[in-house]
Amino acid sequence: MKKKKELKISRRTVMKGALAAGAMMSAGSIPSKIFAGEYNIPDPLKPLPTTGGNMRWIDSGDMKGVFWKKLFPEYAASRGITIEYDGLPWKEINKIVPIAIRNGTVHDVFQLPLGMDPGVAVAEGWVQPWDDYIENIDEWLAAFPSGVYLPGVNQFNGKTYGTCLTANKRTGTCLLYSEKYMSEAGYDPQAGRMTYSEIRDAAKKITKNGNGQYYGWIIGGNQVNRWEDVVHTFGQVGGAHSGRGGFTNRHINFQNGKFQIASDQYMEAVELLLQLKSDGSAFPGVMSMNAPQARALMPQGAAGMIFQGPWCIGVWGRDAPDWKYGIASEPVPDGKEAQPLYIAEGGSNTFWLSANSTMGPFAGDLIRFMGTEQGQIYWAQTVGAADPAVNPDAVAKAGLTGPSAQALAMFAENILVGPNPIVRNKDVGIVAAKSRVPDPSLALVIQGLYTGQLKGVEAQLKDCNQRYEDALDKAVEEARADGANVTRDDWVFPNWDVYSNYGAEKYQEL
Amino acid sequence: MHKKPLSKQIYDARWCYLFVLPCSILTGMFVIYPIGMSWYFSLLDWSGFTKEAKFIGLQNYYEAVNDEFFWDAFIRSFIFMFGTVPVKIVLGFIIAVFLNNQVLKLAPFFRTVIFMPVVTAIAIIGIVMTFVFSPFNGPANKFLMSTNLTSAPIDFLGNPDTVLPTVMGVYVWKWLGITMMYWLAALQTVPQDVYDAAKIDGAEGYRLWIHIILPIVLPFAIVIILVEAVGALNVFPLIETMTAGGPFFSSEVMEIYIFRTAFVTDSGTMPRLGYACAAGVFWGVAVLFITVLQGLWMRRTRRI
Repeated sequence: MKKKKELKISRRTVMKGALAAGAMMSAGSIPSKIFAGEYNIPDPLKPLPTTGGNMRWIDSGDMKGVFWKKLFPEYAASRGITIEYDGLPWKEINKIVPIAIRNGTVHDVFQLPLGMDPGVAVAEGWVQPWDDYIENIDEWLAAFPSGVYLPGVNQFNGKTYGTCLTANKRTGTCLLYSEKYMSEAGYDPQAGRMTYSEIRDAAKKITKNGNGQYYGWIIGGNQVNRWEDVVHTFGQVGGAHSGRGGFTNRHINFQNGKFQIASDQYMEAVELLLQLKSDGSAFPGVMSMNAPQARALMPQGAAGMIFQGPWCIGVWGRDAPDWKYGIASEPVPDGKEAQPLYIAEGGSNTFWLSANSTMGPFAGDLIRFMGTEQGQIYWAQTVGAADPAVNPDAVAKAGLTGPSAQALAMFAENILVGPNPIVRNKDVGIVAAKSRVPDPSLALVIQGLYTGQLKGVEAQLKDCNQRYEDALDKAVEEARADGANVTRDDWVFPNWDVYSNYGAEKYQEL
Repeated sequence: MHKKPLSKQIYDARWCYLFVLPCSILTGMFVIYPIGMSWYFSLLDWSGFTKEAKFIGLQNYYEAVNDEFFWDAFIRSFIFMFGTVPVKIVLGFIIAVFLNNQVLKLAPFFRTVIFMPVVTAIAIIGIVMTFVFSPFNGPANKFLMSTNLTSAPIDFLGNPDTVLPTVMGVYVWKWLGITMMYWLAALQTVPQDVYDAAKIDGAEGYRLWIHIILPIVLPFAIVIILVEAVGALNVFPLIETMTAGGPFFSSEVMEIYIFRTAFVTDSGTMPRLGYACAAGVFWGVAVLFITVLQGLWMRRTRRI
């Protein structure tokens, strides 16, 4: 028998190989196939700097973090750099980013704190445009659906300062439920949108069946924004047509430009939450847990229902793959038909490039790739419905199934694009920068009503509505004093048909 | 006698000044400068990180003193202080008296056990305690239910009536060890002769402690109360990690109030560093006032 030739590698051969690899690294144009990983990362369109370096990236994490943690090592290896990623909850982003901006140590790529006007970031010189770093940017932008990149939203002075890879067509208050508990209670949310009475009844029955071991409904009650999110979205479903986004959009009916916190629909939604508590259907201790803690208790069988976003899908799929759950649209008040939900134009998860960053070429190269159809498919395959990829063709090709596909279909059916005052008048951004949510905010008022520290739903919501009106009036006044050309009429869109998308042609009609 | 000119005096003491210099520079950088800047910022309408900062005089102070949530937090801070300091002082003293007894062989062990929470990171304690007091499978509720002390779980941190007492309890537990150490140090200054003489005179038990030992350690008590009072007004990390001031402001003390206004809120509007500084300066002056009062009390007690 012929002896198999033994593979011998001399020290000299190893040295040659290492030198060759080093030379390729320093050349800065390494074919991606060398790094056989999960992703096929194409070569950069133009040579990247050969100096290497460390790119720091911060965003709000969740499923984005899951994807970045898989992609970043491969991308970094293919470009000869390192990437330091921090995926943090919004609460932390809101604290860390302002401090980092203040002391000049903000990450190369970051997300702005919630509610901060991007125009301020540009005017203050915290960010730099992506135009110099994304090759053929006009061609790249043209591949995105219309309405994602807009002046005053992510484009300023003719340049693109914010990049969006994801759509904002989603809600954070879907009905997520245990299939077993819900079926034992005699309900099937897949048969049709549940009413408030049905939600109450289902919660009662689940609690009864649980006999102290599990309860009908759970919420992360010490994370105050959850209360506001639920009431806001349920109110919209009930027929309170209002905008989404920051203080200067949220809760405002653009038909008359007024806050509608004291509307019947908002009151009904608050009453539903209070009834779930008074029925004994609420999980004990909701006031001392945040949203991720509440979410984590669902697969453990602690509760039958939670109102949360599609980001739960990925987390549960990873942490509790055998647990059977369902996702359905938000419930509707008894005897009413569900009304559309609205989003403002523009994408979501906008990424900004620090003005101090020297890693622009790499960040631009990565963002450019993620905006291509292949990058979007990769994104959709991991992130799914949690943060839907902005390119609908890529989403279709990603082959999503199960709850992710169902959630995306649900969002497509329920959500329309509503008016956005900042698209109409960029000086609205100055108002946003001046505005302050009054104390106590709607979120805290609902929390106070739930704990019993505040009494009288109608009176409290009316007071709150007036506070919001006064706060917006004050912000408009201050902005005008600073030279902004803005009035409360900028929030009135008389041509808004609440059953159709509000596109560019509608703005032109004004 | 002819007095030396000032320059000559300084030159003669140049080594003293040289040694004082590093400390003065550090104090200037990390104490004087921040205090001075916070006074200045308190006069501005400023988010803290934009270029735009408008001088508005005392408007932030006016707004703060007219804000009911400011006063609620202000009063809550003092409730926290008055609720925790006496407990710590009395409990710390009793434990120190027992553990100061040389006959007790396990005294070093108990001292260590009581002191251990002091050296544990406060943020960790805060987070762990949210699990301990959880109404769902939390050990505290499990104990209460298993011993039939309650029929239903108590939402210690989610109920506005129980949240502040619960956090106060955790605070006392966390820092009791340091109070005990202060008292032990004080007790160890009492000479053995005093105990012996008291015994010869027939003073024993509570009489020995009330009439002999307590008057001797009273000046220490004043200092301990002063330190404890100031400490109880600085409880930011514990409350932030346990409740973040909730539910609905029930545990919001002044530091949490200042923090909330100094940073972007959950509701997503711009922070107000100028306003937060005004609230902080007001609070700092109030704490200073109390410290001075206690200092005066201490001097008066010493004279007695």
